[in-house]
Amino acid sequence: MLRTDRRAVLARFAALSVVAMLSLPLRAQAAFDLPQLTQLLSRVKNSEAVFTEKRMVSILAQTLMSSGRLSFAAPDTFVRETLKPHHEKVAVVGNNVTMSSGSRSRTVPLDSVPEAAVVVEAIRGTLTGNRELLERHFGATVSGTPQRWMLELVPIEPRLRELVKSVQLAGQQSLVREVTVAMADGDRSVMTIEQVASPKPASAPASN
Amino acid sequence: MLEPLKRAGAFARRGVLALWLACVVAAIAIAARTNYVADLSAFLPSTPSAEQAVLLDQLRSGVASRLVLIGIEGGSREARSAASLRLAQALRQSGAFDAVHNGDNSQFEATGTFLFEHRYLLSPAVDAQRFTVEGLREGIGETISLLGTPAGAMIKRVILRDPTGETMRMAEGMLPAQAPRSDGGVWVSRNAARAVLVATTRADGADIDGQERSLQIVRDRFAPFAAQGLKLVLSGSGSFAVASRAQIKTEVERLAVAGGIAIIGILLLSFGGSLRTLACAMLPVACGVLAGIAAVSLVFGNVHGITLGFGTTLIGEAVDYAIYYLIQARPLPGGGKGSGARQWINDNWPTVRLGLWTSICGFAALLFSGFPGLAQLGLFSVAGLVAAALTTRGVFPMLAPDGAPGVGMRRRLGQWVGWCTAVLPRARWPFAALSLVAAITLAWLPSPWRGNLASLNPVGAEKIKLDEALRNDIGADDNGTIVAVSARDEAGVLAQAEAAGVRLDRLANAGVISGYESPARILPSPAMQKLRRDALPDAATLTANLEQATAGGPLPAQRLAAFVTDVQTARQQPLLTVASLKGTPLAPALAAQLLPGNETRPWRALLRVQPGPQGVDMAKLRTALADLPGTQVVNIGDELGGMYTRYLHEATLQALLGALAVCVLLALHLRSWKRLLRIAQPIVAAVLIVLAVMSAAGIALGILHLVGLLLTVAIGSNYALFFDQIRSQQEAQPAGTPAAVDQDTLASLALANLTSVVSFCLLAFSSIPALFSVGQVVAPGILLSLLLSAAFIPAPKG
Repeated sequence: MLRTDRRAVLARFAALSVVAMLSLPLRAQAAFDLPQLTQLLSRVKNSEAVFTEKRMVSILAQTLMSSGRLSFAAPDTFVRETLKPHHEKVAVVGNNVTMSSGSRSRTVPLDSVPEAAVVVEAIRGTLTGNRELLERHFGATVSGTPQRWMLELVPIEPRLRELVKSVQLAGQQSLVREVTVAMADGDRSVMTIEQVASPKPASAPASN
Repeated sequence: MLEPLKRAGAFARRGVLALWLACVVAAIAIAARTNYVADLSAFLPSTPSAEQAVLLDQLRSGVASRLVLIGIEGGSREARSAASLRLAQALRQSGAFDAVHNGDNSQFEATGTFLFEHRYLLSPAVDAQRFTVEGLREGIGETISLLGTPAGAMIKRVILRDPTGETMRMAEGMLPAQAPRSDGGVWVSRNAARAVLVATTRADGADIDGQERSLQIVRDRFAPFAAQGLKLVLSGSGSFAVASRAQIKTEVERLAVAGGIAIIGILLLSFGGSLRTLACAMLPVACGVLAGIAAVSLVFGNVHGITLGFGTTLIGEAVDYAIYYLIQARPLPGGGKGSGARQWINDNWPTVRLGLWTSICGFAALLFSGFPGLAQLGLFSVAGLVAAALTTRGVFPMLAPDGAPGVGMRRRLGQWVGWCTAVLPRARWPFAALSLVAAITLAWLPSPWRGNLASLNPVGAEKIKLDEALRNDIGADDNGTIVAVSARDEAGVLAQAEAAGVRLDRLANAGVISGYESPARILPSPAMQKLRRDALPDAATLTANLEQATAGGPLPAQRLAAFVTDVQTARQQPLLTVASLKGTPLAPALAAQLLPGNETRPWRALLRVQPGPQGVDMAKLRTALADLPGTQVVNIGDELGGMYTRYLHEATLQALLGALAVCVLLALHLRSWKRLLRIAQPIVAAVLIVLAVMSAAGIALGILHLVGLLLTVAIGSNYALFFDQIRSQQEAQPAGTPAAVDQDTLASLALANLTSVVSFCLLAFSSIPALFSVGQVVAPGILLSLLLSAAFIPAPKG
């Protein structure tokens, strides 16, 4: 008796999961997917924002807090300027990354440091809505609605997966609101973004 | 005739023959022992300026000359990166290379350990301020800010021993700013289509055999991957040298064979199938080539491949002497058997001798060149021509007293040439007009003299393009800007490099340059290391400061005990020197930037400057470094260009002097302005027309074209001289005598011209740019010289 019951439950579960699996792509297509998201994002050609970041690091006794400014301009410029607690700046233009700290500054090709490129390309690729770039480096999953979406990026390159588990970006319409980087060793950082200048009129339907 | 006189004559003749044979044997012996070279250093100046000395050091024996650039193409991305890892491993184990880099960071574990252990001597951030409360707080804060990011993964492992982040600061200074793209753990090209490696051979750059062996090792070790469908591409200066040597060798052989066959064919046509005649005609050629090799070998200690390739054109010129003699040495009516030689020596030898002198004048100009390569060409030609002429003059009268018997197709050739010489003078005005047009074209067009040093490079454009592509991938631009500093000893040169570095840092902060590499970053001067070591506080002070600096922070001081211990250890560390770095992974990197000196040569440090977004502002760079003693700013591209310009300028001057010498010689011999003008006309016109056509065709002319023009003058003037000789003989005859132009003399001229044109035409089809340029100028030049001589120096109408 008991055995038959269990079988029946299993069979139903299997049937359900097949249905669920079949319907998943259909639902994804009908709802909100990467092409649609990147198209939405690509309408914004430049933006200015402020950010606050919380970083949880296993060997440290406290959570690290920092804040500063972000700016990006299509097609390939992205600047992150930390103002607190230390002044630091990372500017990416094309394939060049310039890192400045205090009076020191150095420029290296972005593609020569894949470890750094992974996070830069995740954020820059999302901000510019560059689907091709995202799909080249990551396995990308979109969930939610245009009103409240979530993009999860997992590095394709195994060596990079040993370092960065995933980058999650959450947003609303063409705006990115939050970036969470989960490191493979358990460390995490969460960056919350606030627009300061509204996107240019021609570029995005920012109204809700 | 008196019997003793006859016997003395025979004795003298035998003496000449014996002397000649002895010379031939000696020349063969020297040629057999000669060292043949093919590197481009023969075309580098022998008296360099201070900037050029830096450059030549680099080109001849610097690390740049030992680099092998390796690319792996085809297959999948994974296959390429696996092949790169395994090939690099195999090459490192082969022992033929000092260093092999492919971006595989696991190779740097040893380097990392060494740097980490010596961080308080090597880190640029270490000074007294660094260990105060404020300095510690700032250093720790900066390090911590990297944690929790991908860049922080490395720091996290060492932060408890290195909380101020000295490891990071060292890495910043040493990592190249032009790093290749990294993909799958290895270096790849920017578009990721090719995996790239760079190896430094143990063999010296000038050791071409050693370079060839090293390249073969790369090919052998790659063979298993080639079987998987991957493709190996190789470049680098060693590969260039090996390729050019091989190319020059096959090319010279090919040219010699083709030239030989063509000329034998022409000789058979003109003399019939007499083997004896053929052997005779080739004798001056063989002697000329032998004498050329022997002379160059004795004076320069080696013979350059290009010289040898060029020497094959001597076949064309030297065979002329034989043709003149064999056709023109006819016994006079009633002169009896064997009188042909005497007649030739009386009538024709003076003209041939004058032609020889003019050629020697032309080539002798090259002898004074400051570039051994050009001087070799000059000496080879002078020695070769003299030997060929002397063989003709001294040995032929004994071998063939009455010239060559066969006529072959020569009669018909003579008739045809006779007809031509009758018709061509009618075209003198069109020809004159053409020359005028040429002169105007030349004056109007921009200067075509814009060849460059690369045009001397015998390796093809394709290989140069590959080299550029690989250098781009790897970030090893060899045309960049270098700041070279020199001093008497190791400590001095490193301190000097640090002084230059301070100025360069300022420029980098101002954005004039984007950065620079310096040997002082790998190995700071002893003074600097001592300063850093003295700045390290004792355990009690450090602990107290640390306590204060970390209060309330995320990294409490009690977790940093290992840091305090490490600083105490560092206070006892001996200073690092070049000698103590020996055998460490840093040694090859240092060797590339620090060239040890000796009693005669100073120590030299090379600081490679990375250009800013607008390139390098040389004026600002020079101003910034102006007051530092022993410091030079060298732009390798400019310097190479400047060297070539100097080379071209010098060669132009020599060519003009050579042309002037030819004129003076002719004037002295002819003692008639009218005849000098008559001879100069066709030659000048031929040179103008050739130059105008080449400029109009947009060909960039260089030094070898200039050498070609000189040759055109030297050979062309021989033809003009003969026409002039015919004409003055006719003018000397009493009026009314029918002007009988000797068709045999005309036929000999045409034949001589044909052989020369053929041999230079062969050069024009050579794949070696140096030979190709010469052939391109000389073949049309001398053909024109003959035609114009016939047109401008017509026989008077009988």
